[in-house]
Amino acid sequence: MIRALTGAVRAQFQMTTHDLGGDLFNLVVVPFFALTFLAIVQQSGRRGLLGYALMAPVLITLWQMALFTAGELVNRDRFLGVLEAVVAAPAPFALVMAARTATVTAFGLAGFAESWLVALVVFHVVVPVRHPEVLVPTLVAAAFAASGTALLFSAVFALRQSARVFQNSITFPFYLLGGVLVPVAYLPGWLRPLSRVVFLSWSADLLRDSIRPGTPAGVPFRLAVVVLLGAAGMAVGWLLLHRMVEHLRREGTLALA
Amino acid sequence: MAAVEIRRLTRVYRGRRGAASVTALDAVDLDVDAGSIQGLLGPNGAGKTTLVKVLSTVLLPTSGSASVLGHDVVTETDRVRRLIGIVFGGDRGLYLGLTARQNLMYWAALYGVADRQARARSQALIERVGLAERADERVERYSRGMRQRLHLARGLVADARVLFLDEPTTGMDPVAARDFRALVSDLRAEGRTILLTTHDMAEAEAVCDRVALIDHGRLLAVESPRTLASWVSRYERIDAAGVPLHVLDAIRGVPGVTGLGSAPSGATRIDIGAEGAAARVLQLLVAAGVTSISTSLPSLEEVYLQLIGDRGLRV
Repeated sequence: MIRALTGAVRAQFQMTTHDLGGDLFNLVVVPFFALTFLAIVQQSGRRGLLGYALMAPVLITLWQMALFTAGELVNRDRFLGVLEAVVAAPAPFALVMAARTATVTAFGLAGFAESWLVALVVFHVVVPVRHPEVLVPTLVAAAFAASGTALLFSAVFALRQSARVFQNSITFPFYLLGGVLVPVAYLPGWLRPLSRVVFLSWSADLLRDSIRPGTPAGVPFRLAVVVLLGAAGMAVGWLLLHRMVEHLRREGTLALA
Repeated sequence: MAAVEIRRLTRVYRGRRGAASVTALDAVDLDVDAGSIQGLLGPNGAGKTTLVKVLSTVLLPTSGSASVLGHDVVTETDRVRRLIGIVFGGDRGLYLGLTARQNLMYWAALYGVADRQARARSQALIERVGLAERADERVERYSRGMRQRLHLARGLVADARVLFLDEPTTGMDPVAARDFRALVSDLRAEGRTILLTTHDMAEAEAVCDRVALIDHGRLLAVESPRTLASWVSRYERIDAAGVPLHVLDAIRGVPGVTGLGSAPSGATRIDIGAEGAAARVLQLLVAAGVTSISTSLPSLEEVYLQLIGDRGLRV
């Protein structure tokens, strides 16, 4: 399992760095998001929302990269004619897909540097990272959780080509419930409990806390929640991918694009 | 001892949107001896690839059973996957953005091969298939034939004891195909069991210990390549233009002439069904001053039809 995991990560890293315009196109969008959000905060004089403007592009990028990669990998392997060989290998198919999705998503962490630099270069705002011991593990946990949750959708997008139409739009409810840009407190009361089962809301709170003065409370627990939500998504995604492969083996449509 | 055992294996593809169902495999029985090369010969759509897919665990059978080295392909999928190597035909099946070496390292990892061993094995395979000089070049720049060779290396990277090669020489130039056949013979010498599908009679004859004929999902016969070759040569045919009527009558009376008809060119077509008959017919034609004569061998499908018609093989 470990060899398959490291092999899949290495191969995906090689593929992604070879095709910079493919998997990493989301990183091009980060400065535009950052510019827009930071401009709104600056113009409104709400410097208290600076954390929202700075961290929103990071989380948006992580989630988009995870979701798009998870949604595309099965179809991409089908197109290349490698899907059957991957399924026929002893390594669990879901493990390979999860490892490859996480690898691409990890590149999304660069979005933080982009966002921070936009604040500095364009708005001359230096955002101090007051708690790097919170920021770094939160970014890693958020990338893991994004990959795990995205795996949930991998089987759906692979089985139902029509579902891919919603690949883009499905990201928005997550941004909203995750309080990525708009504080969850601003949402209708009945929506707020839902946000607690979305890993983005816990991640966003932690990331904003990492640049605020004062000591953030309950960091280990909150980090654990992010990881657990990601793990739960990955577990369900794993099961769905397994069932998808069984369905395709039964129908004889594994290789069909 | 049989390395691969197939019993009444059937696969039916359900028709989509009201289309009729298709029986791709129809109660196939076959044993592949350990350490042998078993050919599976048949025209396109005969069921060869479906059989390989079932054996390689990417397709579930509708009924019947199949096992590899004693492990059932349906109930012991994980065990079977550790024992087999697969080469699907065509030039697809590789990551184009990776180099040959990176591709092999990836596939080795999926088979649980340790890094150091995978590196050594990849290098050895790259040299074995003649890609050493371009091993670190991305596959997207490879020719079709080079991809096919890498495909074969990919199938061998796990050092599998049983190999399924599905039309592996498709797209290879004659020299590469000859080298490939030598490689397959080497693999047998190493004790591996190989199931090789092809629609090329010459290929089957060159490398296989036994050949199974398959068509419309049914196994027609399992014979040695020599027997198959004799069948084909026996069913020779002769096309001749301007043959006088009295000569045609004489030809009709030659033992082993199975029929007279018209070739697409308009010439007379004489079908031969027994060894030695062709020589007698040619003598008659030459003696009668006929100068436009050509001989040819029938296609495999035509041989099938002849066989099914006059030998009542297992159908």
